[in-house]
Amino acid sequence: MQNKSITFDPNKKKGAPFMRRITKDRLFALALLTPSIIVTVMFILVPVFDSVIRSLQDYRIKNIIAGTPGKWNEFANYMKLFSNNKLLPSIETTFIFVGGVVLAQFVLGMAMALVLNSNLKGARFIRSIMMAPWIVPTIISGLIWMWIYQPQYGLLKYVVGIFSAGRVTDFAMLNNPATALLGIAIAALWKQIPLTALLLVSGLANVPEETMEAATVDGANAVNRFFHITIPYMKSIIKVTTSMSIIENFKQFPLIWTMTGGGPDNSTSTLAILSYREAFVSNNLGSGAAVTTIWMLLMIGVVILFNIIFKETKME
Amino acid sequence: MSKMKKVLALLLVFVLTASLGACGGSPKEETKKDTVPTDTKQTDVTQAVKEETDKASGDYEFKEPVTIKFANYGVLEAGYDKFWNDAKKGFEEKYPDITIEFMTAEYGQMLTQVVTWVGGGEKVDLVFGEASWIPTLADAGILMPVTDAFSEDYLSQIYPSMLEAMKVDGVPHGIPMYASPFIMLYNKDLFEQAGLDPNSPPATVDEMMEIAPKLAALKTADGNPVYPFGMTTASVAVSGSCLTSLIYGFGGSVLSADGKLDIDNAGFKQTFEFLKELDDKGYNPQVSKLKDLRNLFALGQLAMYYDQSWGFNGVRSINPDAIDFVASAAPLAGGQGTGESLIQAHTLMMGNNGEAQVEATKLFIQYLLTEDVLIPYLQNVAPGYPSMKALSEIPGITESPVLAGAIKSLDTARSATNIPTINDFNLELTALAQAVTVNDKEVDQAINDFKTAAEGILSN
Repeated sequence: MQNKSITFDPNKKKGAPFMRRITKDRLFALALLTPSIIVTVMFILVPVFDSVIRSLQDYRIKNIIAGTPGKWNEFANYMKLFSNNKLLPSIETTFIFVGGVVLAQFVLGMAMALVLNSNLKGARFIRSIMMAPWIVPTIISGLIWMWIYQPQYGLLKYVVGIFSAGRVTDFAMLNNPATALLGIAIAALWKQIPLTALLLVSGLANVPEETMEAATVDGANAVNRFFHITIPYMKSIIKVTTSMSIIENFKQFPLIWTMTGGGPDNSTSTLAILSYREAFVSNNLGSGAAVTTIWMLLMIGVVILFNIIFKETKME
Repeated sequence: MSKMKKVLALLLVFVLTASLGACGGSPKEETKKDTVPTDTKQTDVTQAVKEETDKASGDYEFKEPVTIKFANYGVLEAGYDKFWNDAKKGFEEKYPDITIEFMTAEYGQMLTQVVTWVGGGEKVDLVFGEASWIPTLADAGILMPVTDAFSEDYLSQIYPSMLEAMKVDGVPHGIPMYASPFIMLYNKDLFEQAGLDPNSPPATVDEMMEIAPKLAALKTADGNPVYPFGMTTASVAVSGSCLTSLIYGFGGSVLSADGKLDIDNAGFKQTFEFLKELDDKGYNPQVSKLKDLRNLFALGQLAMYYDQSWGFNGVRSINPDAIDFVASAAPLAGGQGTGESLIQAHTLMMGNNGEAQVEATKLFIQYLLTEDVLIPYLQNVAPGYPSMKALSEIPGITESPVLAGAIKSLDTARSATNIPTINDFNLELTALAQAVTVNDKEVDQAINDFKTAAEGILSN
């Protein structure tokens, strides 16, 4: 058997410069990362940690003004949220909104991307103007859609009146608790689909033409090519696009606050609305932080679940 | 990577890190000392101011120029901006040592913005806003009691009901500039078209419901329907105030004097039964904001609605001819109620940033409340009832079509209980109105749901 023992030769220093170089490189990399680490700690980790601490305290605006610390209140903020029948309906509304919008956004965005990626006449023109809704500030989008939905003289009422031959005269999407969330979702989709489509178009460009041609020669129809070639090749861009959409809609506030203020009868009161009301309408920052903490945990859970699902559906 | 490149990269990193460090520095401590008075400081300053005020001379000597920082959303609003800029100019001409500096934000953002400013170390000497902002700002420690700045003699010239609306823990924290209960504005032309006497508006809910079918049968010239009665129920805090006013009209109550929920009364329930009936009959535009009602009223699509008197400014901005058909009446009496209303005021609220600031701010408030400054504003810009009793008999007020018919409702108007969570509470009140109207819930069930939510808010 060959002797593999290593003997230490004090005169042999071949490894030392290598180690020194590795250490130097690591230090250099660390130095380069320093600003990012500082920014992450200062502007993400510290505020998140601070918010969690505040959620366990009686902390109000007067504490900020007077510079006094909050007082530990034995989870009272959390207990109140669970006892006043506000939190669970808000979580439910948030999930319905996020689920619906993300799904519709992906389907419609992909449909639009496929159209734009085709040789359809006018596709270039559509691509150049379709970003307009995305550029419009969210609050302005909300106001535009409020006018469209306006029950007495809105455009939608006019259109519904024409298509129903004057039989439907009181169509008021935002006034009905059953349709108000749908009304907001449509406004959100109008604003967000252009970016989704644009990102997906860029993903479609990564699908190799020769593979598609080979599949066509082998007899794969359009549906099979889409699900077995296009989607797998676009997996990474779909993942990014959908993650962005989940986060965007999970934290959607200005559109909902502008269009319905959480009404009617709290039917559009999401976690974002509840958090705002607790912190800035009721002026109880501790309670607002409690909603935010639950909201953040839910969002982390959703993103983890999303990543797991995408991992499991990985196509070879 | 060459050594030079590495050095450059490290230099860049150093600059970035140093600039991040520089972001954190601010002279907050120093500013805070001036802006946020401790109890002791506040007592000292207010005592000094009180002594000065008690001299009743108004001849405070400013040792150096003073700048009043005035948070005012009105400066951003067309129609109001001219008045405020003229007032600033006129005051600065009269008092050359004092300068007014406006701090602006939109109406909907102003309350939060003031808190943010002061929390960030910015001084705010004066805030123009709703009386309903007082509990929030007072609770945050931003406002000073006006009894510490003005003499009893001066305050006694203000309508007691208006001053009452400024109180937190029994102490007024604002000077009402002008006020209005929620009154009923109605369209005389539509009354005539419906064969009703335009000079005899309904005084009770029953009378209103009796004439409502005639008004509902009308159409505008372009074929749009006419709503007989408008009551705001949208998810905004002011709609909750308007609903409180309606509850008072039914003889009900909402909050007790100590800020507890007080809704186990007939008037409260009858109010929501009334709203449900209005909705069932299609008399009230659903989930409308006050501005929606103003639009409809201006366009001749609404016969009667509840609003503050200055809301007419919004009507006039859409239809300048509305002044020809508008008239006002006292709020309706319903159930066992006598038609009491909730008083609302546009208010001047003072911060305490030192003796000279307080004294200068006081002079400015007194200047704004003079006949020469205030009456043209109330006549031409924002119809309202002046807070100073001496100004109420001026023809511009007593003969205004927007103010004259409802002037007596001032005598019976009540103030709301001022609690820091009043805005959120008002939002929940609108949710109750929406539950019984657009969500078709039974009134008793909706009130029970409201109780659970409202108690959570009041426990805040």
